Amino acid sequence: MKTAEEIKNTEAQIWNILKFVMDPEVEVNIVDLGLIYKVAYDGKGKVDIEMTLSTPACPIGDAIMLNVKEAINAQLPDLEVIVNLVFDPPWTPEMVSEEGKVILGM
Amino acid sequence: MQGLATEMAPSPSVVIPHFVFAAVSFFILSLLLLFSGEAMTGYFIQPQILALTHIAALGWGTMIIFGALYQLIPVVFEVPLYSEGLAKTTFWTFGVGIVLMVYSFWTGSFGILLSISGSIVFIVLMMFTYNVFRSTQKSKKKNIQSLFVKTSTIWLGLTALVGLLLALNYKYAFLTPSHLLYLKMHAHMGLAGWFLMLIMGVGATLIPMFLVSHQVSDKNLKFAYYFTNIGLVILMIDWLLLHGSMFIPVWGIIITAGIVFFISFVAQSYKKRIRKVLDIGMKHTMLSVFSLVLPIILGLFASSKFIEFDMDFYYRIVLLYGFSLFFVFITSIILGQTYKTIPFIIWLVEYKALVGKTKTPLPKELYSEKLSEWQFYFYIASIVSLITGILLANHYVIEFGAILLLVTAILYNINVFKIVLHKAKPVGSKKA
Repeated sequence: MKTAEEIKNTEAQIWNILKFVMDPEVEVNIVDLGLIYKVAYDGKGKVDIEMTLSTPACPIGDAIMLNVKEAINAQLPDLEVIVNLVFDPPWTPEMVSEEGKVILGM
Repeated sequence: MQGLATEMAPSPSVVIPHFVFAAVSFFILSLLLLFSGEAMTGYFIQPQILALTHIAALGWGTMIIFGALYQLIPVVFEVPLYSEGLAKTTFWTFGVGIVLMVYSFWTGSFGILLSISGSIVFIVLMMFTYNVFRSTQKSKKKNIQSLFVKTSTIWLGLTALVGLLLALNYKYAFLTPSHLLYLKMHAHMGLAGWFLMLIMGVGATLIPMFLVSHQVSDKNLKFAYYFTNIGLVILMIDWLLLHGSMFIPVWGIIITAGIVFFISFVAQSYKKRIRKVLDIGMKHTMLSVFSLVLPIILGLFASSKFIEFDMDFYYRIVLLYGFSLFFVFITSIILGQTYKTIPFIIWLVEYKALVGKTKTPLPKELYSEKLSEWQFYFYIASIVSLITGILLANHYVIEFGAILLLVTAILYNINVFKIVLHKAKPVGSKKA
């Protein structure tokens, strides 16, 4: 079992990894786009990611979710990554980060 | 995982051939247009113009919509396609039917060949309608977008039925009172019932999605649906029973109201978009939607019995009316949406297994953006000269426009083939 600080560090590392996962249509990474709601590492071997998509009909949704898993496992191969897709609360443009807004020209 | 669209997507071997057939049709269409300059300055019901219309409507517009719709049924209805086998059979039979039909129009063989090809196309369109209806039967999705798509396939079936009657009428002459009346019905069912209705429904799903627009009310879409359909149904009844009363422009205005509601829905999505910069795909799409103003004005103008036209001018208006629908509204949205569709399909095939493991290109890196920009500029130049040429009835200007359109088609084809033939290569090992 990891200490609270180690857990926090791993979660921060995961947030950083996810900054490299792009939404291939919008061309902004999914963190700045505000698609990641929660990263929860249990301190043992499992991390739960709660994320959404900008629209439930997103035709490339599962490619993005697969990308999330693979990107984390590429750097933290021992972690079991669980991706939960949620649409509640629904994504809104207010969730885009300041950096994302600059890229999108908002 | 709440039924993601990609998990229900059909196999790319069902979808992609439609795009290839359509791209080649567009090339042939612009080539044939180049040889029809003279025909484009006169009466509109001529073999060459009928050939152009049908390669545009079937080989280009309908073929690509079939492919796109097989891909989009899971997105719009959240169900998989009913039968991929039927879709493949439909594709091949349709291909044969289109080639035969365009050949018989172009060569003026309005006899048995047109009857056969008309029957083939009719059967094909029924097969497609059946496939869509069986798919949507299982859908729990009851929104306005899916209603648009379902209704459009009903209009497609009716268009095919009247088309078949017309084809047979050339040989057996049984339609009363006039062939022209049924031709008008056929054209408007196809243009407003099938293309417009379908593009409105699919556009209502895709335009806000690609612009990343939020909280766009679908109230305008509902008005668009009811006004367009009610207007169109009354128009058909008027033509069928009253043989064209003086109220035709009134029914036109009802349809127009529907289109205006749709345009205002798109304008709202545009205003609320979070993606400020429009890519080529969306530029073409916006051009298409807002170009609807042109056929609206021309249509109302041509149908008004209060304006006295000299016949020559009337023909030009009608020709321009058809031109603006086929070559601007339908063509522009296809030229654009192709870039929003097939790169993603091929990207998923080639890179899904590689995502996260190695750096993968973006879907838009599967084609040349430079070429797609040139395609857009050549396209704009071509429609400006074609419209000018038709208005002035000057076949040199028309031919010049046709050359520009041919260049557009070549650029488009290069990109389509580049995408379709793309094979996964890790980024960095190839020249981008």
